[in-house]
Amino acid sequence: MHMPDAMAAPLFDVANRAASPPSLLRRALGFARQRHWVFSAGVVMFAIVLLMLCCAHWLTPYDPAAQSLLQRLQGPSSRHWLGTDHLGRDQLSRLLVGGHFAIIIAAVTLVLSAVIGTVIGVISARQGGFVDEITMRIVDLLISFPDVVVAIFLIALMGPGYGTLIVALTVVSWTPFARLARGLAIEINAKSYIRAAEILGCSRRFIILRHIIPNAIRPLAAMGFLRFGHKLITVGGLSFIGLGVQPPHADWAAMMASSQPYLERAPLLVICPGLAIFLTALSVTWIGQGLETKRKTAGDQA
Amino acid sequence: MWLFVTRRLAVLVLTLLVVSVFAFLIPYLSDGDPAVLVLRSRVADFQVDQAAVEALRHQLGLDRSLLAQYLGWLNAALHGDFGYSYTSRAPVIDQIGRALLVSITLAMSALGIAIVIAVPLGTAAATRPGGPIDTAATFITQTLVAIPEYWMAPMGILVFALYLGWLPSAGWDGMSSLVLPAMVLALRPLAYFTRVTRAAMIDVLQAPYITAARSRGLGMTQTVLRHGVRNGAIPVVTLFALWLAGLLGGSVVVEVIFAIPGMGRLIYEAVINKDIPVLQASFVAIVALSVLINTLADILYAVLNPMVRMAHAHA
Repeated sequence: MHMPDAMAAPLFDVANRAASPPSLLRRALGFARQRHWVFSAGVVMFAIVLLMLCCAHWLTPYDPAAQSLLQRLQGPSSRHWLGTDHLGRDQLSRLLVGGHFAIIIAAVTLVLSAVIGTVIGVISARQGGFVDEITMRIVDLLISFPDVVVAIFLIALMGPGYGTLIVALTVVSWTPFARLARGLAIEINAKSYIRAAEILGCSRRFIILRHIIPNAIRPLAAMGFLRFGHKLITVGGLSFIGLGVQPPHADWAAMMASSQPYLERAPLLVICPGLAIFLTALSVTWIGQGLETKRKTAGDQA
Repeated sequence: MWLFVTRRLAVLVLTLLVVSVFAFLIPYLSDGDPAVLVLRSRVADFQVDQAAVEALRHQLGLDRSLLAQYLGWLNAALHGDFGYSYTSRAPVIDQIGRALLVSITLAMSALGIAIVIAVPLGTAAATRPGGPIDTAATFITQTLVAIPEYWMAPMGILVFALYLGWLPSAGWDGMSSLVLPAMVLALRPLAYFTRVTRAAMIDVLQAPYITAARSRGLGMTQTVLRHGVRNGAIPVVTLFALWLAGLLGGSVVVEVIFAIPGMGRLIYEAVINKDIPVLQASFVAIVALSVLINTLADILYAVLNPMVRMAHAHA
């Protein structure tokens, strides 16, 4: 037994020990150990961000929306660790809650895109021929579209709102998943166990659900994490120009936009929220990169 | 080869037709009667007169059948007439032309910066995979994709415009105002170009002709320059086209931050002002150009790579 397991097990593993011999946590630790260090670093960073967001309610020293015009644009002090913004709101409190909406919107968009993209990609690969040709043409077309521009067009048509935002971002972002899923499906389809299942008379649906999707899930997850960072930045971009997360909700990118005019006087107001978006995006990118790296080395060994 | 080109061109025309239908439908899909929208943008009064709406509806031809309206609109659009902007009252096509030129300049500068750094970096990384340069390059590219451009832009302004005073902080006036936005826009393509160059070069450097060149006593640098770069360039060209198509729509956020009068800001302002003719024309322009660039890239790819050409000739 390895040291980290021995140390971690008594601490967290009380409930699971009897239930299943290799516990979930131990498997997770083993999984993490096989990966590049960026994977673990990403997981730790992302966990800290999520924990901070979840506990933000208890951590915030002030009400994030409470204005105090007499104390506007103050520098960092013992009372306001990161100073106050142009309306005298406590910057630290706003920073702690500012990721909620962007992260939730990015995550919902991502799950929708991944599911829709995977379904379309797998169907396209299984059908082949004309359906495949048309689908891939559409993917080729959409994949080169700037997602912010498409989102802006749809917001213009449907009016602003979180529903619009999610639909608009999903419309463009299912395409990389479709392309990847299609490639994986074709690759897996050529494997002998698929032939075996077909000879045994399994239905097409069964083969997709039982063989193709389980084998494709890890590369898709890697892609998901890599895209998550990108989505987060895109949602932020829309919030930055005022078409994303709306006030009074605090949002990192919107905070940066409203502090932009005071860039010279109070640069921290722009630097800190940007750093928060950057570190969150970096953490998920590292997770995705870690998943992907392992996949390649595993492929080499097999 | 010609069959391949004709087929791609047919797809191009078909796509453009579909796009034109979408663009035409924009005013009908958005909430509100187009005639009311036009009237409201012309007179400040929110309570528009019903008789005036009817008159305008007739004048704009909105009482004709949808198909007749579409054909009329398409005919005008094909002659470069997208109507007049609701807000500036100038012909839309002129505005689009000017904005596109700005966005193309910006996009080409950004992609130029990205290529100039990414190709040598990716090639250097590929000559020794896993080596120090490769590790550093991988780390840098991973970091770059996570940087939001609306963070990099203020940071650039802070350092180069406000503290050092070397560059203007915003505007569109000569070369110096191009530097900061182009650098900010270059970061993300730089990361992707480096990654693709590295992957392509690793493939190329394993090819038999590289071993042959090396065994003839050609040095590594010479080998890479003479045989590697040209063959490794193909995927990079494709990616360049993809990014150019993407950036033509302008990077809305960067253009808004730096007050650059490109496509991104034009669209942004059209949305804010509900300026429908501008939205229609910019939608058509962006999609048409991006499809055109992708088609050209595909054809160029086929010309550069005989294997693709052959596969399509037999298909």
